Amino acid sequence: MLAIAVALLIAQGFSALLIWHEVHQRHIAALVNGAAMRVTMAVDPAAPPPPPPPADAPDHGHGDGHHEWRGPPPASGDDTLRLPRTVRLHVDAASPEQPGDGPLNEIEVAFRDALVAQGEAPGNVIAVARDAANDPLVRPLLPELRVRYRLGPSQPLPVLVLTAAQQADGRWMTVRSFMPANENVVVFRLLRQTLLTYLVLVVAVGLILRRMTRPLRALTARLDAFAASPGLAGQLAPQGPADMRQLIIAHNAMEARLSALLDEKDVMLGAIGHDLKTPLAALRVRIEAVDNDAERQRMATTIEEITRTLDDILSLARVGRPDDPIEATEMSALVADVIGEFEDLGEDVVLGDTARMVAPVRALWLRRALRNLVSNALRYGQRARVALVREGACAVLVVEDDGPGIPPAELQRMMEPFTRLDPSRNTGTGGAGLGLTLARAIADQHGGMLVLTNRQVDGRVVGLTARLSVPLAK
Amino acid sequence: MATAILLVDDEAALREPLGDYLRRQGFAVTEAASAAEARAHLAASHVDLVLLDIMMPGEDGLSLGRHLAETKRVPVVFLTARGEATDRIVGLEIGGDDYVVKPFDPRELVARIRSVLRRAGRAAPERAQSVIYEFEGWRLDPLKRRLLDSAGAVVAISSAEFRLLMAFLDHPRQVLDRDRLLDMVQGREAHLFDRAVDNQISRLRRKIEVDSRNPQLIQTVWGGGYMLAAEVRKIASQG
Repeated sequence: MLAIAVALLIAQGFSALLIWHEVHQRHIAALVNGAAMRVTMAVDPAAPPPPPPPADAPDHGHGDGHHEWRGPPPASGDDTLRLPRTVRLHVDAASPEQPGDGPLNEIEVAFRDALVAQGEAPGNVIAVARDAANDPLVRPLLPELRVRYRLGPSQPLPVLVLTAAQQADGRWMTVRSFMPANENVVVFRLLRQTLLTYLVLVVAVGLILRRMTRPLRALTARLDAFAASPGLAGQLAPQGPADMRQLIIAHNAMEARLSALLDEKDVMLGAIGHDLKTPLAALRVRIEAVDNDAERQRMATTIEEITRTLDDILSLARVGRPDDPIEATEMSALVADVIGEFEDLGEDVVLGDTARMVAPVRALWLRRALRNLVSNALRYGQRARVALVREGACAVLVVEDDGPGIPPAELQRMMEPFTRLDPSRNTGTGGAGLGLTLARAIADQHGGMLVLTNRQVDGRVVGLTARLSVPLAK
Repeated sequence: MATAILLVDDEAALREPLGDYLRRQGFAVTEAASAAEARAHLAASHVDLVLLDIMMPGEDGLSLGRHLAETKRVPVVFLTARGEATDRIVGLEIGGDDYVVKPFDPRELVARIRSVLRRAGRAAPERAQSVIYEFEGWRLDPLKRRLLDSAGAVVAISSAEFRLLMAFLDHPRQVLDRDRLLDMVQGREAHLFDRAVDNQISRLRRKIEVDSRNPQLIQTVWGGGYMLAAEVRKIASQG
């Protein structure tokens, strides 16, 4: 948007500059042609009048003693101010140049060219700019000029231009004229026009762009929202130009397909959960008929393991589409509650320092993550020490064990599904290896992360530290 | 006379062995394969307790449970395949007295049944109180078992802590000794010793005291027990 505005400004400025240049050239041409013609007429009155120059009509004769004005005074801000005839052409014995004059090279060259074009063979040619108040001929006329041209005493007169050509007899023919006074006016007018065109263009382009970018921005926001929680609520209505509408319609269709797939997955998982748990429950009831206590206990443990794995799989499949709300939750109470469950089972779990802090979380999921981390610590590291600390804008659950740690090369792989360190994959240590995967997925779900590090003392690994961080309430 | 239990579950694979198991435990069990069958039986016979599966084709367990809560004062224990809390909370909110998650330990189920029957036998209409307790900026919703701090954040409490807190809230500024607390929290057959109460008290303090080492809300009374030193207000909950 800004780039387009700047480009438009440059283009407009350039075009204004070109227009101004042309106007300037025309003014010079008018001035020079008028002057050249006067000189030519004075030298050779029989010469046929050349085509009239654009700005100034030719005047014949000179020096008849009184000031003669032609035509009505021009409207203010319009054409060049005219001088009385007597002053326009003057014959001097010597060069009319005087100190304080500014040479006008551009006009001088143009003047000579104009004279040559009219068949003269000019000798020395000069063109200078002079303050009208310093000119011996014009100065006495100034009060009169001011009255005629309705110029206040404080308003400046335009610069006087003297163009003079030396004749063969050594005399100088000097033409006085005012620099076109309205050059500033032209510039001002040009600027105003340019600015106006510019504003119109910018507003028009801006409106067009907005019509295109607003739906695009809405679509981006919608994509983000859909990525965060896939669902059909809040779909965009097609809007904007035809291409945008097509895009939004196509996007909505894709969302609908994705949603249908996800719904199907949820239904399937629900069915699996239900259809497997009911026979498991039946089995769990039936094993009560087994008389051998040890055997029955082993069966019960196996059923519990199957159930736990099933729950982990179902949770992992649902972690991206949780249906429970986020609630401001006091974290230390949540941690204490989960640790309490382990304590009640007689597990070796120590709750270390906790500070009160509130985080927007899905408590059920976070409990599950913490439970998994503590279970892992107990399984592989004999005991678990749990603490809750605040780090910046995050609440960090720290779970330490005293186990053998994880080889550095395996640390990342441990987060992948069904990965456990013991290659035999026997369930002697329990679990299907989904615990860490699920804990990490839950951290992701909350916009946090799970980091595993080996704790070392003197270069020897003394345990594993799992740090699960979730953002605190703002 | 044996306790009459109505077991409602559409899955015969579970319903039949569970019925047999409960009969061996001395209950008089009637099985129903659907909510409709259950309604018919309830209309015709006396039932002491209903075991109700939530996921059933046709009318589901939640709907039947709601109906029971509104019409009859029959205790309900839900059987649920889903372990997610949405179901648990809904089950209790609509008047379920307890729940077990499939697959459950049948012994645990029997313990729950006995506990629910005992509570029902005491005839204390303690469930479904649609009030909110307010004390020192804390708010407890007994129906949802939700404790909110003064800033509105959810503070997790276990069910033992919840019952303990309820005991204090119902008897503010009264000294409650350990036996009394045990009785109120665990039920009469509690095989827990005194330290268990102290343990639960310290867990509760850790959650609700500003400084749990210098407790102000739940104070220890020398030689006596514990006391809630706070004004308790009951306000009607909206909904």
